[in-house]
Amino acid sequence: MSGTKKIERLLVANRGVAAVRIMHTCRDRKIPTTAVYSTPDRLGRHVFMADKSVHIGEAPPVESYLNMEKILQSAFETGSNAIHPGWGFLAENGAFARMVMDAGLIWVGPPPDVIDGMGDKAQARKLAIKAGVPVIPGTEDVTSAADALKWMDDSGVDFPIMIKAVAGGGGRGLVRVDRPEEMEQAVNQASSEAEKAFGNGDLILEKFIENARHIEIQVLADQVGNTVHLYERECTIQRRNQKVIEEAPSPSLTEELRQEICAQAVNLTKAMGYHSVGTVEFILDSATNKYYFLEVNTRLQVEHGITELITGYDLVSLMIDAAEGKTLGISQEDIKPNRWAMEVRLNAEDPETLGPSFGRISRLRTPEGPNVRVASGIYQGASVPPYYDSLLMLIMSAGHNREDALNVMDRALGRSLRVEGVKTLKPLLISIIRHPAFRAGDFSTSFIDENIKELIKAFREPTAEDELLKIAQYLAEVSALGPRSWI
Amino acid sequence: MSDKNMFRPGMSPKDLVNKVRSLPGVGITSTGMRDAGQSDFKNRLRIHDLETLAPHYERMDLFSAEVHGGARWHVGIMNRRESPFEEIVLLREKMPNVILQTLVRETSLWGYRPYPKNVIKYVISQVDIDIWRCFSFLNDVRNMRTICEVVMERGLHFQPAVSFTQADWATNEYYIKVVDDMVDLCGGVEEIVMCIKDMAGVGSPERIRELVDAMLQKYPEMVIQYHRHSTDGLGLPALLAAAQAGAKLLDAQEDSLTRFYGQPPILSLHAYLEEAGIPVHLNRPETEAAVQTAREWIRHYGWAESPFKGTDHTVVQHRMPGGAFPSSFEQAEQGGFLHLMPMILKVMSLYNRIVHYFDVTPGSQMTWVTCSGTVNRYAKEFGLAGVNSLIALLTKFTEEVDQDLDRLYPDEKTELMEFFTTAPGDFKNLILGRYGKLPAGWPADWVYESAFGDRWKEQLAKRSDASPLDSTRDEDLDALRADLAAKLEWEPTEEEFILYLMHPKDTVDMIHFREEYGEASIVLPTSVWHSGLAKPGDTVDFTMMNKPHTVEMVSVGEEHEGYISVVLRINNQTRVFTVETPRAVKTEIRMARAANEVGSPITGSIWRLGNPKRGDLAVGDVVHEGEEIANIEAMKMENVIAATLTGRIAEICIQLNDSVIEGQLLFVLEEEIEEE
Repeated sequence: MSGTKKIERLLVANRGVAAVRIMHTCRDRKIPTTAVYSTPDRLGRHVFMADKSVHIGEAPPVESYLNMEKILQSAFETGSNAIHPGWGFLAENGAFARMVMDAGLIWVGPPPDVIDGMGDKAQARKLAIKAGVPVIPGTEDVTSAADALKWMDDSGVDFPIMIKAVAGGGGRGLVRVDRPEEMEQAVNQASSEAEKAFGNGDLILEKFIENARHIEIQVLADQVGNTVHLYERECTIQRRNQKVIEEAPSPSLTEELRQEICAQAVNLTKAMGYHSVGTVEFILDSATNKYYFLEVNTRLQVEHGITELITGYDLVSLMIDAAEGKTLGISQEDIKPNRWAMEVRLNAEDPETLGPSFGRISRLRTPEGPNVRVASGIYQGASVPPYYDSLLMLIMSAGHNREDALNVMDRALGRSLRVEGVKTLKPLLISIIRHPAFRAGDFSTSFIDENIKELIKAFREPTAEDELLKIAQYLAEVSALGPRSWI
Repeated sequence: MSDKNMFRPGMSPKDLVNKVRSLPGVGITSTGMRDAGQSDFKNRLRIHDLETLAPHYERMDLFSAEVHGGARWHVGIMNRRESPFEEIVLLREKMPNVILQTLVRETSLWGYRPYPKNVIKYVISQVDIDIWRCFSFLNDVRNMRTICEVVMERGLHFQPAVSFTQADWATNEYYIKVVDDMVDLCGGVEEIVMCIKDMAGVGSPERIRELVDAMLQKYPEMVIQYHRHSTDGLGLPALLAAAQAGAKLLDAQEDSLTRFYGQPPILSLHAYLEEAGIPVHLNRPETEAAVQTAREWIRHYGWAESPFKGTDHTVVQHRMPGGAFPSSFEQAEQGGFLHLMPMILKVMSLYNRIVHYFDVTPGSQMTWVTCSGTVNRYAKEFGLAGVNSLIALLTKFTEEVDQDLDRLYPDEKTELMEFFTTAPGDFKNLILGRYGKLPAGWPADWVYESAFGDRWKEQLAKRSDASPLDSTRDEDLDALRADLAAKLEWEPTEEEFILYLMHPKDTVDMIHFREEYGEASIVLPTSVWHSGLAKPGDTVDFTMMNKPHTVEMVSVGEEHEGYISVVLRINNQTRVFTVETPRAVKTEIRMARAANEVGSPITGSIWRLGNPKRGDLAVGDVVHEGEEIANIEAMKMENVIAATLTGRIAEICIQLNDSVIEGQLLFVLEEEIEEE
């Protein structure tokens, strides 16, 4: 145990929403920050929010946000004695964590060995089984389509099945297979995506649980093994296996089940020798109310903010405390969620095709008003480059109960939010939060796919501002070009 | 007071007719919101301005307001970008106690082709109008049956209109026969107002007096309404003559809207009739206020006026209808043949002695296209002298030789036989009976020979005496609706569908315009709607969705590569708009359209061509349906591009590492043809 060590300056090895989020807490704690940026992010929001900023390379992530040497060098150059990886990029890279620590810097995250162990899905499964946590039927022994089909045959598992990258996360390297003839392409795609995204093409195969709900438990541990949970988040609304809407608490859990899953998560965390914040993810089969261990995310989650909203704790701040070696000053009894919180991910994507949308944010108005929290990685005039993920902004709402939180979210999205210049998921998000099944808490991970037509149909709702701009466009044209020929 | 209006929507036709009979003098229909604008302003008067008259109409004690129909539909869709349905809703709200009146053609309604019964029934039953003035350009009363039935079934007021002209064949006897048919159609005179529609303004006062008198002698209980244009300059005396002979209803328009070809001015008419001892049922002070209100905005419509100014008494010869005057002259101006107009009008006056029908839609368009086309052709080939010799020939044929071809010289005969060769298809359909029977019999055989050439006898044998109502087959409304849905990419509303039935192409254009420019056509004041904001600092105030808005011009930039940046301050917020000029330089991205073209499903970048198994691909390679032929990365996700068919690669339209947009053409494939 190294004892406590104060963070003098924190380098945030990330960009966009993640970097901005971490810097907010640093400001609260008066910790100076260093930002790193790639060439297209030169005028990015995080670059100007930090106290110092260092250019670390060109657009491709391997040259910039995944460039470990360059990031370490930047820490030294700027006098930063700690690195926070945010989420994505190097957040779950044990080798980088080790490099940081070996260089004598503070790593704001869990121990490198735990990252490696949990990052390997096969190893994580083994650990879960050992700790007595239920897992989905599956195998780690897959290198080809033939292997996969043979395992299915041997173990009596039917389609659909899921192929996952051992090193995967964030939905990449994750492919669902419904028919034997799709197997070959799926195995190749998953392996190739994983190779490219994580540098490791190994796969595992699991039975796909239909009508599944995605429940995750937020855990927190200090370096001497004090471990608590901060209850669950429900992240069932996804598209292409990426979360779109999250909420806490989960509308799917009974109090009994909640206590049981949370206790399991704490057991597993202790078994791992974990410290810092982390998330234990479970799949809940809503037909049987059985839950299965899915994976551990050894990092700060995108959706951590809703846990902060219901508990009042600042998870980034607690992460910093843990990294500094402070003893956890919170006991499980101190953690008393007393609100309902929702989060939507405002991605720069076409809400119909879900294809990415790039460009310049020509106009931006962020939501405001009571019970709204916004974490934004952009500003009016900023450009959205095509090289990174498409998250523009996290919008959270809180309320006394689920209905209140939903109403606040409806106001935030429908009345206040405005983004011009790129397409965003806003219309889809509004459609979802107004959908009767969603409002009733009746949904599964395939909710968007199953309802996409109906959701899109509800899009056409022009606002007064849109209508005004149409008139202004006409005025611009007739003023510039003179009376129209057809008039 | 509005609640004391003598004539109100919802009254039964019978009640309405009895109320008119009880008038000591005459009642008035104002055409200010329809025919006035059509006849002098090419139908460009916008509902934005017209609605300011509504509060006055509500108190003017009108019999009715003609606010709908005629060409106002088509021009609304095509030029004003307004829907006639929106107009009705607005007017009902602003003048709920005023009877709304339309003008409808008997089978072509507000479009330009004869519709089958099922379309007529469908359209007529969905329009919220009280009085349906219906005419036939052939006075073929049979053609009115469907509209008449639907309107009467709805308990609304069907108003048959006799198309009127002054010609040797258009005698009182002829008109009484038409009126007889109309009375039969409507089951007597108790529930109808009979309209005399003098659409060109050619009825001389004494001729009109005689006709009204003859009609009343035959039908003493009949209520007659006289509608006429002022083109000949004799509008007021003709209206007085009609009233003196017993017509109970007259059409007029607000004096400030009066130019040359619309209805006579309402205040002048009021004064003129009262002086002659005929009481006029009209709230004079309110009417004066309406006239003043119209004066405030009509000055913004100078651009819409006819290039031909002044009344024209020769209308009694050429018979161009008032409603067609400004648009015909506008066409002549745009086509560069304004100087030929006097000759075209002369040819029209000779033409209508050869073929007899009424110069009103769609007949007036046939006359116009045939005569203006012929004169232009002559002018191009033989100059003005050629046009004059054509006029001389037509004059000789109609006036000297009694339309006897054999009394012309052979070369004259040959030339005359050319006259109808370039006539439009509508004219050919007309003389084959596709619109109904002609009012004074079919034209002479030589007209068919001229129009159809060697095969004229064959064509003539197909001529039918039947009403188009009986010969036009029903259309598949569901299929038509599906057509529109496909064009719009959404389910059309009932109203959009009805507009589409009348004017398919222009309706789709208008809907797209409204998608793009919203309510610009409804909320902007006319000067700004027409010309925009002229200089920095100019502002426009308007109300939209019940809220005030202001747009201020900041600057219009220089043109750069065909684009102009316009800076506007919208409700105090500055914004830049890009305006595309016709010179805009566009880099064209080819999109996949055909089945053998493979497009990108997503916006992203091509990171692999071919697939790992077979490697790269080249033109000429054979690929199999479903085989991966490229892979696109977007936001770190891979997307397989699969061959859509089995065949050869004809073209690879992209290169490795290219950025592509959704739908962009990636490959052109060629299906393998099995060769023996």
